Amino acid sequence: MFKYLKEYRFYIVLFFFIIIPIVAIDTATHTPRPYRFYDRVAVGITAPVQRLIAWSLDLVVSAFNNYVYLWQTRQTNLRLLEENRKLLNLIVNLREAQDENVRLRKLLDFKEEFNLQTIAARVIAKDVSTEFRAIRINRGEEDGIRKDMAVINNEGIVGRILRTAKKTSDVVTILDLLSAVDAIDKRSRVRGIVEGMTDQLCQLKFALRTDDILANDLLISSGLGGVFPKGIPVGVVSKVKKEAYGITQTVEVRPSVDFSRLEEVLVVADSQAVPFHLTAPQEVVSRIGEAASATAAATNLGTPASGSNPQKEL
Amino acid sequence: MSRLLLRFLNPPALVLAVIFGIALQTSLFSYYPFLYLQPDIVLLLVVWCALRRNFIEGGILTIIMVSLAEAHSSAPQGLFLSSYMAIYLTLRALARYLMLDRLSTLVIVTLFVSIAWKLLNLLILYLLGLSENQWRHTISLMAPGAIVEGICAIWVYRWLERFDWFTAKDPRARQELSEDLQLEEEM
Repeated sequence: MFKYLKEYRFYIVLFFFIIIPIVAIDTATHTPRPYRFYDRVAVGITAPVQRLIAWSLDLVVSAFNNYVYLWQTRQTNLRLLEENRKLLNLIVNLREAQDENVRLRKLLDFKEEFNLQTIAARVIAKDVSTEFRAIRINRGEEDGIRKDMAVINNEGIVGRILRTAKKTSDVVTILDLLSAVDAIDKRSRVRGIVEGMTDQLCQLKFALRTDDILANDLLISSGLGGVFPKGIPVGVVSKVKKEAYGITQTVEVRPSVDFSRLEEVLVVADSQAVPFHLTAPQEVVSRIGEAASATAAATNLGTPASGSNPQKEL
Repeated sequence: MSRLLLRFLNPPALVLAVIFGIALQTSLFSYYPFLYLQPDIVLLLVVWCALRRNFIEGGILTIIMVSLAEAHSSAPQGLFLSSYMAIYLTLRALARYLMLDRLSTLVIVTLFVSIAWKLLNLLILYLLGLSENQWRHTISLMAPGAIVEGICAIWVYRWLERFDWFTAKDPRARQELSEDLQLEEEM
C-alpha cells in the first residue's frame, strides 16, 4: 500500500493540486469567501502595517503641502479669502434653503425624519488585485460595523460592507464586478440595477429600451433590498445607447463618488431612513432637491447637516 | 544545526514575507495614480515557488499564499486559487523542458506569466458569467501591469535568492550543508 503511495506520490499530489481549486471555486454565488480563523490572523497582521503606511503617506503629503508649497502661501491666502467670501454668501443662501425646506416639511405634514446614523471611517487599503475594486476601512466589528451595511460619503454611495474583522472591514465598491445597486432615475423614476464596469464607470442594467433615460440624468438609490437608504446619489448617466434591436438599452453611469481620491467614508448604521423629498409630489421634488444639494454643500463647508450624524471621529 | 533550523524556518518566513508584501502592495499603491501600477507580490512568489521549490512544498506554499490574497480581495471564492494554481502547474511543466535558472530568464517569464494570469482570470470570470464588463479593463492594464511586475521581479527575486542562500534553501547552500553534515558524520 505504502509502496504504491510512494510510487504514485507525484500523480496523487498533482490530482489534489488540480481538484482543490476546482472544488474551492464558488460557481453558485460568485461571492468571496467569508473570513476564516487564519484569514483573521493574516488580516490582523496586515491591517496595522497598512494603517502605518497610510499614516506615513498622510504625513509625507501633509509635509509636502505645508512646507514645499509654502512659497505659494500668499497667493493661496488671497484665493482662500475670495473663496471664503463666496462661501459666506453661499451659507446665507443655504440657510434660506434650509428654512424653506422646513416650511415645506411642515406643509406636507411628513412625520418621518431623514436621520442617518453613521460611523466615520478612513480608507486604509485597496484590493490586492487591480481586477476588483474593494477597499479596506479602519473600522471593524469593535466599532459596530456589520456585513452589508451601506457605505457612503458626501458625494453619494461608495459601496457596502463585504466582510468585517475586529478592527477593519472590507467594502465592495459600486465599481466592483460583484456590486449591484437598485437605482431609480430621479427625473423619470425609471428603475434599474447599477453594476460595476471599469475603474471609472458603472452600467445601468435591465433598463427597457422604451424607458425614458437621458444623459446627465441623476440616478439615486431606490432603497429596495434594505442595504442602501433611499435617495442617496449613485451616479450620473454619461452615455445612453439604443441598438436597433433588443429589449434593453445600454446605459453607462459615472459614479457620483470620485473613487480615485476616496479617503474618508461614512458607514450607515441604520439604513431604514427615507428622505422625504422622494415621497413628495413631483413639482416640489425639484425645489427640495435643490435644497438638499445645498445642504450637502453645507456639509462640505463644515456646517452641521440635518441629514447626517457621525457618531465617531476619524 | 543552525543552518538546518534556518532551512526549516524558510517556508513560514516566506509566508510571513508574503503577508507583509500584501500589506505593502495594498496600502502603498492605493493612491491615484499608483493604483494602476500595483505589482502582484503573490504572483512573483508563485513563480519563484514553481521554479525554485520542490513540487509538494511549492504547491502547498502556493495554496497558502493564494488564500492570503483571497482574504484581501473581493474576488469570487476560488478564482485566485484556480488561476494561480494553473500558473504554478504550467510553470512546473515548462521547467522540465526549458532552462529557467537565470535571473533575466525569470524576469522574462514573469512578464509573460503576468499577462497569462490576467487572461486566465478573464477566462474563469467568463466561465462564471462575470466577465461582461471586465475585459476592457483587463486588456488596458495588461501591458503596464506586466512591466511593473517585471521591474519588481528584479528586486524581489534578488532578495529571494539571498533569502534562500541565508536559509540554506538554495541548491548550492543545500549542497554545502549536506557536505558539512557528511563531514560531521565521518568525524
